Amino acid sequence: MPDIDVDAPGRTVLLMGNEAVARGALEAGVGFAASYPGTPSSEILPAIADVAARRGIYAEWSVNEKVAIESATAASLAGIRAMASMKQNGVNVISDFLANLVMSGVGAGLLLVSCDDPGQRNSSNEQDTRPIAKWLDFPLLEPGDFQEAKDMTKWLFDVSEEFDTVCMLRCVSKISHTRGNVTLGELPAPQYRISFEADKRERGRGSRRHDDLHRRLARAQRRFEQSPFNRYVGPDRPELLIITCGSCWLHSQEAVRLLDLEDRVGILKLGTCWPLPERLIERHLAKSNEVLFVEEIDPFLERSVMELTSALSAMGPRPVFYGKRSGHVNAYGELTPDLVINAIASVMGLTYQARDKEYDREIEALPRGYVVPRAGTLCPGCPHRASFWAIKNAIRMDGRDGFITNDIGCYGVGPTPAGFFVGRDGYCMGSGAGVASGFGKLGQFGFTQPVLAACGDSTFYHAAIPALIDGIHNNSNFILVVFDNSATAMTGFQPHPGIATNAMGGPARVVSIEALCRAMDVRVEVCDPFDLKNTTATLLDMMAMDGGVRVAIMKRQCELTRARQEGPPFKVHVDPDKCVGEECGCDRLCTRIFLCPGLRWNRNTGKAEIDEVICSGCGVCADICPQGAIIREAA
Amino acid sequence: MDSQPPAANKLLNEVVDTGLCCLCGGCSGGCPYLVPYQGRIARLDDCTLAEGQCYQYCPRTPTDMDAISEHIFGQPYGDDEIGVVQEAFLARSADPEIREKGQDGGTVTALLSLALDEGLIDAAVETRMADDRTPQGFVAQSTEDMLSCAGVSYEPSPVLQAFNSLPKESTEKLAIVGLPCHVTCVAKMKTYPPRNRVDMDNVKVVVGLFCGWTLADGFHRFLQDRFDLSQAARFDIPHHPAHTFDVYSESGMESVELDDIRHYINDACSYCWDMTAEFADVSVGSGRAAFKGWNTVIVRTRDGQRVTDIAKAKYALETQPIPTESLDNLRRASLNKKKRALASIIARTGDADNLLYLGLPRNVVDRVLAAGE
Repeated sequence: MPDIDVDAPGRTVLLMGNEAVARGALEAGVGFAASYPGTPSSEILPAIADVAARRGIYAEWSVNEKVAIESATAASLAGIRAMASMKQNGVNVISDFLANLVMSGVGAGLLLVSCDDPGQRNSSNEQDTRPIAKWLDFPLLEPGDFQEAKDMTKWLFDVSEEFDTVCMLRCVSKISHTRGNVTLGELPAPQYRISFEADKRERGRGSRRHDDLHRRLARAQRRFEQSPFNRYVGPDRPELLIITCGSCWLHSQEAVRLLDLEDRVGILKLGTCWPLPERLIERHLAKSNEVLFVEEIDPFLERSVMELTSALSAMGPRPVFYGKRSGHVNAYGELTPDLVINAIASVMGLTYQARDKEYDREIEALPRGYVVPRAGTLCPGCPHRASFWAIKNAIRMDGRDGFITNDIGCYGVGPTPAGFFVGRDGYCMGSGAGVASGFGKLGQFGFTQPVLAACGDSTFYHAAIPALIDGIHNNSNFILVVFDNSATAMTGFQPHPGIATNAMGGPARVVSIEALCRAMDVRVEVCDPFDLKNTTATLLDMMAMDGGVRVAIMKRQCELTRARQEGPPFKVHVDPDKCVGEECGCDRLCTRIFLCPGLRWNRNTGKAEIDEVICSGCGVCADICPQGAIIREAA
Repeated sequence: MDSQPPAANKLLNEVVDTGLCCLCGGCSGGCPYLVPYQGRIARLDDCTLAEGQCYQYCPRTPTDMDAISEHIFGQPYGDDEIGVVQEAFLARSADPEIREKGQDGGTVTALLSLALDEGLIDAAVETRMADDRTPQGFVAQSTEDMLSCAGVSYEPSPVLQAFNSLPKESTEKLAIVGLPCHVTCVAKMKTYPPRNRVDMDNVKVVVGLFCGWTLADGFHRFLQDRFDLSQAARFDIPHHPAHTFDVYSESGMESVELDDIRHYINDACSYCWDMTAEFADVSVGSGRAAFKGWNTVIVRTRDGQRVTDIAKAKYALETQPIPTESLDNLRRASLNKKKRALASIIARTGDADNLLYLGLPRNVVDRVLAAGE
């Protein structure tokens, strides 16, 4: 990642959207940044943390998003500009705090950056966070490109101070994780001053504060009417008006150009998405008979503009609205230029053939022979694979239909082939323990299946502790399995309280999961998942114990961490004379069920093989081969 | 992909889940999917194979008794209620240390130990009880090992899991000790040689034990709740007219009434046809009340004869003739077990021509059904 504090105003550099946001915060003189890792937001905090020391900034990976926004708010109230960044799920986690925060206002500028994942490529759900700004009454901006990602971030600190409210910048993966040209602005000299002036501000009492908030929002709306972040390109009276925001602006421009409709179709890109610049929108609606909304993911602008038109009696005949309600644009998933082209063509009754149909069929068929369908998997050498293998065997031997309640992390593969199908669907951070605690209370209704809750180390600190305490207090019957690989691996190895470093690379105190659990006076076992025999036996014993909460910590560091520090422990190969492959005595256990990507099946020889490029040399497969055909030798 | 269901599914549907499984362990060991655990067969993963050795060798899947008899004895099945008798006698170990460890006369341990010393075998696959007296398969490679296997657990033992787990390229000469169910499974493997397992030609002698029934389904937990099993040295159910299950330890003997544990008798055993392990090379049982401290020995094959002859010649065994009356009593007891088995099977299938796993010649079935108690 480039250092984003280069002092070169006017220089154009290539920045990732998240880096541009970080740069914008620096240009605004941010002093406090907190976050919890979550794709696609994760790069914002480290971009700031990397330069934090020399700029006197405090940057923190918080235990969860709630603590992140609460900490940032403290800084804001004390006169330090502050920012909290997170993915869409983090916004859910902080919603109660936000709902209260808006009732009391801020000190120095406070910015919430929310990065959504349309298409749910890296998320447990698909969710559009824009509506929360409308729901809880605070300003929302969405950048349409990388320059705006920087410029909006910088401006929002001013907006936050002027209207005494938290503000939100909403990005999507296409902006956060793509790179584009950004012209840098001025970097202020780092200077921070503690000042509790904000607390002395008169804000009124109870519900009157809500009324006051609405008034401030109305003033913000008037400011937004003039914002250069709202732009229009196209003819004065377009046949079709596209109303769009965010990365969909780029798609819309591309679609219109490809369809050669630049003199027929106009694009109104909104940057201030809440409150809406109503006068501006009204002016454009009056010049168009047809309007197409192009946005990700929910019909947020679409519905808000439709609401608006109901109130605009002076507008004259309403335009026809096209978008998600009319079925022209998906209300799920990521949009692409092709999808936008289809929508425009459909609305305007055009045909557009991107490619010759024959050619299309040909290129679709071509990779079919070469591209092997690949299911989601765990890395070669991943300790979670061994943990799941031991858990799966223990559950099957126990024989009472035990199962895992799933959670968020690399170990979230429980319900899939990579996790040997031991898990039920997961929900959100900490829900594994919470749902398990619930199942564990159903004994009085005749529930007899053993319940195991899956939980990673970072997840444990983030969200599992309350459910654990609840389970202990209410004598719930479940085993909390902590998949402790000493890493927040799924999102990029950000430190957490189990690791002795902080976001800025300095020393941090470790809070031991084992010590915490033992302090709660329940049975705690620490297992090495690579020791399959003893881990399975321990789990069986704990399941047989059958009463109250038990904790099993599967402790082994992430293979990716280990591989950065040392070479492979073993050299592994398959003895083809011992391998029986598809025959009785094996039926391809290693390549059909165990599924380490370091093992591959040779259809021609009918034998398993080690893929020497992929194999990490962990040697665990040698313990699962029923024929002893997998040989491991010390490297 | 075969349209037939996987063999493992058939095994579970037809045997394991229907109460026929005697936990012999014959389906496990060479297979990573089926494992005996705490009195049941657990399935760890799904096997897709339609042709599976788990199903093929299970003593409770279709068993062609004639074919096996032809292979092992060179003759059709069913002449004698106690199986082929080449020679029968009473025996006990000549070694007092072995006698002390043994259940009755220590004959099995004496035979195996001698066979090991004489180089007839390199190892014996037997049942050994763990520290908590759970029976499990064990490969004994010394007299000391064999002594640790002496004594009856009265519970089903998955001993064949240990046999099937042996490396398939092994050339070790082996003995196998088992109950009639284990012996039938081994006999099926001899008749239809296995793939990807140790060569059956390595098996030099199969020692079968007489068996009426085993205690299962929670019996072990029952024992654990009542006794400190880590101190238990020996179990015994003395023959009729005794009525107890005895537990011997350093501090003496404690008993439970047989009536209190009858409900633990393994249901699966009520479908068992074989009391004397008729497909073994040598079958060994208790001398019963008449000959306390001695074993009844039935030699059935040349392989069995070789071992017993050497044992006698080297004074590893003391022997005495077995009275005809005793053998007749044994025949009567064995016949009664067969009658009970047929009655249970026919009650279950509702059809005298459907004998579940038993592939018996018609004349044998008729003879047993017609015989009086």
